[in-house]
Amino acid sequence: MIHFGKGNLRIPKFERPVYVVAGGLTDYRKRYPEKNTCQLCVEALRMAVEENDLKVDPEQVRRSVNWCVYSQFADHFGDQLLAAAKVHDYLGFDPLGNIEVKTGGATGGSGVLAAAQAVASGYASCVPVIGWERMDEVATKVGNSYIASAACKDFESELGWMYAAYYALMAQRYQFENSVPRETLARIACKNHEYACSSPYAQNPGKYTIADVLNNEIVSHPLAFLECCVMSVGAAVLLVCDEETAHRFTDQPIRLSAICGGSHTLRTADRRAMPILLLPNETEATYKEYFGSRRTDWPGFSSFLASRMAAYLAYHMAGIKDPLEDFDLLETHDAFTISDVQTYEDIGLRPYGRGREFIESGDAYYEGRLPTNLSGGLIGTMHAVGATGIFQLVELLWQLQGKYDKFHGDAKRWTRYGKTKPADWRSLQVKNARRGCAISHAGTGSHVTCAILEKPS
Amino acid sequence: MSIPWPSTVIEQLEQDPFVIRNPKTWSHFHSYGGWGRFFNALRQSKLMGTRCRNRACGEKRLWLPPRCECPDCWHEMEWAEAPQTGRVFTWSVVRYPGELFKLPPGTPLISVELEGVCTKLMSWLKEGEPQIGMKVRAVFNTQRPTNTILDLAWVPA
Repeated sequence: MIHFGKGNLRIPKFERPVYVVAGGLTDYRKRYPEKNTCQLCVEALRMAVEENDLKVDPEQVRRSVNWCVYSQFADHFGDQLLAAAKVHDYLGFDPLGNIEVKTGGATGGSGVLAAAQAVASGYASCVPVIGWERMDEVATKVGNSYIASAACKDFESELGWMYAAYYALMAQRYQFENSVPRETLARIACKNHEYACSSPYAQNPGKYTIADVLNNEIVSHPLAFLECCVMSVGAAVLLVCDEETAHRFTDQPIRLSAICGGSHTLRTADRRAMPILLLPNETEATYKEYFGSRRTDWPGFSSFLASRMAAYLAYHMAGIKDPLEDFDLLETHDAFTISDVQTYEDIGLRPYGRGREFIESGDAYYEGRLPTNLSGGLIGTMHAVGATGIFQLVELLWQLQGKYDKFHGDAKRWTRYGKTKPADWRSLQVKNARRGCAISHAGTGSHVTCAILEKPS
Repeated sequence: MSIPWPSTVIEQLEQDPFVIRNPKTWSHFHSYGGWGRFFNALRQSKLMGTRCRNRACGEKRLWLPPRCECPDCWHEMEWAEAPQTGRVFTWSVVRYPGELFKLPPGTPLISVELEGVCTKLMSWLKEGEPQIGMKVRAVFNTQRPTNTILDLAWVPA
């Protein structure tokens, strides 16, 4: 879609308000044979209904549910088609209707979008979104092949059978066009690994120096292992409700003021040039000097039109004028350091070509202007694909409710996962956070959702 | 009558948790369908793309990978030969490829920019060190083709 018609850019609206009231997670591990997928999903659901200070008991939640959304990326991994039916049964939700959503890495975001649509339209009033991925049934190399099956199998998958390589192609071009120092990319990896140190759920926490990342082994030039997301097993649950149910369940409902989706070609190769779609905080003057000998077109290999489209719709839907000012928290889909910088630009934190400044200025850090991926993100904490977009919103929900410490700092919670709370544990609770944004992202930008959560005023 | 227990054993790898090994060794019979002409042409050392036939359509350039129908207007497309020299738009050397990769680790992947083509075809560099902007020409695996996109590669021009 190069030339937009009026209908193509229609701003979505909910017929009635949508809220999120509770979230649940498992811990995330590279290998988790101790629990089968059904157990992991039950565990996340139980945390949602038992540990979120709800005013009703779990049985009353069960009696309120009237639709379920399931979110799993790859049947290949779980080796179980119609897995949603099995999970739905083990969660005890039969014979309620349900739907399974699949949009690659953005599956979790799309699952929440589907639940929001159900609630906003009046179809349902109480919808748990349950996501998971079981990536440990095959060797890592086979896992990478499975993931690369989500590239074009006729013209691209054979070229590496490795998604990191497809991002590496974008990284090289982005670097050529924008000359981002390797150190800046390394800082993103250090930041997210470090924030993961505060999370009992995290699979890959660590305190690394920039030198550690720069000297780390390369997966596909220029991306090093420490700059790539983890491959995880685990589940996440988010409870989405209408206003009446939300107030019945909790004194701290958080409003889902917008969630919108965008898309672009599965093959990065097929992305033709078009005029930049401007966000509310940009004008044509923003890009007067953008194009030149190295930057010849947009979105090219350096930008994600799907992210820009999702942000454009969500910002207009929620009345966001300037994301850097209007958001207090952000969760990005940091599958790779490079895609994070690309995303900063796509969602308007900096104009195109200047994404590096979001990191270099300190904005992206805890106590910066817009703390990003305090959860540890995909690099530090988890990428159990079908659960990821849900996990991001659960972490945002807890932050907005002021419950970061409750869900990350309780020593018993660390013990539950066979871990010891670190002696130097630090709280990453953002004080007085009112509004957060989460980006769920698939492929090399094939599907993206942008969700905005806010405390009702 | 008594049916004997199965003779095939599924191997147990761990006792607690109980982990078994499920082997998977079957084939998929995949058709390239309308794109088959592209793969047949590689054997004649030809690079075939498609162009929209609809005169009213705004996209006049070639598509490579080819498409049978135009995504802009849904009209049928026609086949045409694409240029066999172009420039490297971007590259990466893949050190840890996934299972099924038929080339050695360290193979440079490239995206190629071709004049008159609206896409930037992903491929691989068979000789030389990749650099953005370097001129490359197509080479074809006609002797022992893999029957995949790997039968097309590029070398410095």
